[in-house]
Amino acid sequence: MTEILEVKDLSKTYQTGGQSLTVLNSINFEIKKGDTMSIVGPSGSGKTTLLGLCAGLDTPSTGSVSLAGIKLNDLSEDDRAYVRNQHVGFVFQNFQLLPTLSALENVSIPLELRGEKNTEARATELLSRVGLEERLHHYPNQLSGGEQQRVAIARAFMANPDILFADEPTGNLDEETAALITDLLFNLNKEIGTTLVMVTHNITLANFTNRILQLKGGDLVSDKLKKA
Amino acid sequence: MDKKISVKRRGTNLFRDSWIWKLAWKDAKKHFDRLFLFIVSVSVGIGALVAINSFNFNLKNDIDRQAKELLAADLVIYSNQPFDTLFMTMLDTFEREKGKSARMASMAIFPKDNKTRLVQLVALEGGYPFYGSVETVPRNSLEKLKSGQGALVDETLALQLEVEIGDSVKTGSLTLPIIGLVSSIPGSAGIMSSLSPSVYIPYAFLDSTNLIQYGSRVNYRLYFKSGKGESAEELFSPIKKTTKSLGYGNETVDDRKERVGSALDNMYRFFQLLGFIALILGCIGVASSVHIYVQEKIPSVAVLRCMGATGWQSFWIFFIQASGIGAIGSIIGVLLGNLVQFAIPYVLQDFIPIELNLSFSPRASFTGLGIGLIISLLFAALPLIRVKYVSPLAVLRTSAAELMKSPLFQKILFALILIFPWAFAVYQTGELIFGTAFYAIMLITVAALAAVSYLLIRLIRKNFPRNWSFVWRQGLANLFRPNNQTSVLTIVIGLGAFMIVTLSLIQNSLLSQLEFSGDKSRSNLILVDIQDYQKDELLAYVQKNKYPVNQMVPVVTIRIDSINGKSSDEIRKDTTDEIPNWALTMEYRVTYRDSLIDSEEIVEGNYINEFKPGDDSLFVSVSERMLKRIDAKIGDEVVWDVQGVPVKSYIGSVRKVDWQRFQTNFTVLFPRGIFEDAPQFYVLLTRAEDKLESSQIQKDIVKAFPNVSVLDLSMILRNVDDILSKVSFVIRFMALFSVVTGLIVLAGAVTNGKFVRLKENVLLRTLGASKNQIVQISLVEYAYLGLLSGITGSILALGASFALSIYFFEMVFVPDILSMLVIWGSIAALCVLIGWLNTRGIFDRSPLEVLRRDV
Repeated sequence: MTEILEVKDLSKTYQTGGQSLTVLNSINFEIKKGDTMSIVGPSGSGKTTLLGLCAGLDTPSTGSVSLAGIKLNDLSEDDRAYVRNQHVGFVFQNFQLLPTLSALENVSIPLELRGEKNTEARATELLSRVGLEERLHHYPNQLSGGEQQRVAIARAFMANPDILFADEPTGNLDEETAALITDLLFNLNKEIGTTLVMVTHNITLANFTNRILQLKGGDLVSDKLKKA
Repeated sequence: MDKKISVKRRGTNLFRDSWIWKLAWKDAKKHFDRLFLFIVSVSVGIGALVAINSFNFNLKNDIDRQAKELLAADLVIYSNQPFDTLFMTMLDTFEREKGKSARMASMAIFPKDNKTRLVQLVALEGGYPFYGSVETVPRNSLEKLKSGQGALVDETLALQLEVEIGDSVKTGSLTLPIIGLVSSIPGSAGIMSSLSPSVYIPYAFLDSTNLIQYGSRVNYRLYFKSGKGESAEELFSPIKKTTKSLGYGNETVDDRKERVGSALDNMYRFFQLLGFIALILGCIGVASSVHIYVQEKIPSVAVLRCMGATGWQSFWIFFIQASGIGAIGSIIGVLLGNLVQFAIPYVLQDFIPIELNLSFSPRASFTGLGIGLIISLLFAALPLIRVKYVSPLAVLRTSAAELMKSPLFQKILFALILIFPWAFAVYQTGELIFGTAFYAIMLITVAALAAVSYLLIRLIRKNFPRNWSFVWRQGLANLFRPNNQTSVLTIVIGLGAFMIVTLSLIQNSLLSQLEFSGDKSRSNLILVDIQDYQKDELLAYVQKNKYPVNQMVPVVTIRIDSINGKSSDEIRKDTTDEIPNWALTMEYRVTYRDSLIDSEEIVEGNYINEFKPGDDSLFVSVSERMLKRIDAKIGDEVVWDVQGVPVKSYIGSVRKVDWQRFQTNFTVLFPRGIFEDAPQFYVLLTRAEDKLESSQIQKDIVKAFPNVSVLDLSMILRNVDDILSKVSFVIRFMALFSVVTGLIVLAGAVTNGKFVRLKENVLLRTLGASKNQIVQISLVEYAYLGLLSGITGSILALGASFALSIYFFEMVFVPDILSMLVIWGSIAALCVLIGWLNTRGIFDRSPLEVLRRDV
């Protein structure tokens, strides 16, 4: 297996009120294609910051992130956007669906952005796969939280991403729906062979992944690999 | 794996990226309600602009036509002496349509009843009048006159003296049959001459009257009509030099237009101001609606950025929406503007005194369309540019900072936004200085409002009243808390208030100017040639019958004897001077008094109102026109020939005289104490309420005071009244249109605040705030905003309207503080009302529904 994500000496420091606040401190790890990994830690440990940096949503203060063999540090925001479109999928805690688009249209966006035509068939197939074949033309405000997250998962897999970043994907859902979403996420991940990087507080959810990184106060305190 | 791989992304092309267009459409469709203010702002702003400009263009054409009718020719050359024979011979080869007239005061006798009357005798020849319609009974009377068949008399004169067609009229030695009556004739010139009743005779018969003797005051005129496409200047050019050298005066349509009108000029300028204001209000509406729209769209943009959309792609989605909405709004605006313009005569036909020839104005419509698109794109682009810099990190953290902005791009955009209103103001006014002044006033206002809002936020923060009740504290705190709208709303409401108050104050000043000269107490009868011994008896008659004595003015006739020691004969012979010969030979009718009247003001020097026995020097006041005419300056010596007695004087002051006022205005004003014993006559100005009363006064006066002539101004006053009514109506109507535009944009701007406060209020409600508390917090916040912005805008408007009145409209500033207070109160009340309406949505839905939707 080859590395899809490589993080080297990654640090992030914010300047607030003339003072420096280091939220990530010299993080190193890599993840191979098709692998699954959780990032856990208490609030304020830097999990979301690390996820944002790995996905190219933000730029590090020092160190580097290479995604699919592309070093993100040197890229402009628009170039990073291109890399995300080609290689990355996202699932967020708050679903982040576009409120003015239907479920079908929301799912189609990643391929539409690539300039591909006839995206509807693939979007319909994915929505059926997540059990929403009856809700294709519903708008986000007409869907329940679980349904919205299923749309978000379908959208995340729409462009066959190399890597999927999930930020607390079940954080806003009840236990039953959370279990359903977890199954869906991991089944699709396995089926499509996507690498999964997930930020979560939920140890049960984290245990679904092969590897767990633990952060504390911006430091990587443990990197546990589950036995196959 | 530490390798650097360059990214070769496909270049984005707006026209190939069909999804951008699709997404723009889908998003706009769902959020049309949020874009409604945008479309309304553009539509109403452009509608107002198109209506105003179309109306302006059409009205200008109408008035241009009226100006031609007033002159009834393209060029008039006039003289108080018969025209030079060589000059007339030269004109024989000047191949243009020509006409001529001679006008003089004369007694007319109507042999049927032996009635006599002082009339203006008008001898006519040639094609004149070339423009305007002559209303006579029977219709072809003027043609008959020119062919020498008889005389025409004014309808009012016929009514007054009970003469009919078929009777005779005798002027001097000439007796002619009356072949028709004149109701109106274009080309009447000057109030004093044109408003006295006229008797028209063929020019060929003028000599037969034997009225023209040495010293007779005859006004000779030559009339010319331009060839096709020829301007008056081009027409005048070949004969200009000779005309000037012979000392003849000349007048073109443009000269006449200028004379007709400071009131009309002011009206155009007022309309230009309205057009500018309407557009700026539209711009405010666009910028404010897009600003709020973008605020709402940031989370969606962050999601798109996460999924790989570039900054430009994200920007284009919303820019396309803005363009589409701008185009739709502009088209609606153009249609609306034309509709309103066309609707005016239909809706208010009874109120429009003259027929307006309104027609579709392609210039106004296409300009409106273009400007609508420009403002939509330009004023939407500034708030929209934020979209380009939305960080994808905002999906994870709502507080994520925006990406580094491109200072150059923003600077260019900002510069364009600054330049556009200036360019438009200059275009709209057609004058660089005035356009720049409009713009500068607007810019100063925005800066002042921004400063007020900044100071307000600082002041409230620093002196926050912690012991106030929760509702008052919460409402006040809303003004400075994060995501507050204080600056935006202060500028929008303040600018709206500024413009509405400015319009109202300017309108008030304009109308008071018009009303002053057109009010009910205006004189319409002038009694002239009242001798000193008749004065008291005549006054007794007027007072007994309760007619108003608006003015009783002594008049002395004088001529110029010398200027600065050089006799008028010497000056006439001197070809190097600039003084026209007629100015040196004419008889001036002057008056004396110890004070100025309201149609005149001193612009230079001091008016010395009394000449006391023993005073060394006599100082007179001359009009600006007279000063220019005799090429003099303050302190120059002028010796007057007062019926054979030389009177030495110095020019002590210069007066600006409003010749449009229906008052006895004079070119030279003497102080009291010099002419009391000189031969003089009096002019009395009074008013008759109707034609019958006027006729009765005239009969009584002619019977009791045969030598006194009564000039009935009612005919010209009717015409002027018509014009004034029209102007007054148009001003009120058009101003209302712009005020409504302002109110719509203002209401829209405040309504937009709803979306910002909605979630917050729902959270308060969730936490247990009562409906009343939430409503009160909103009301308090909007009341603060409305009151503070309104008063700032109103105070600024007071200054701006003062400056505009004095320097732009050149009129007296008449501040209407009551209207200002009413507008201020209304704006505050409107803000409070909208604030209250904004809270209604909160109670229509459950907190859960709103929270879920907005999370």
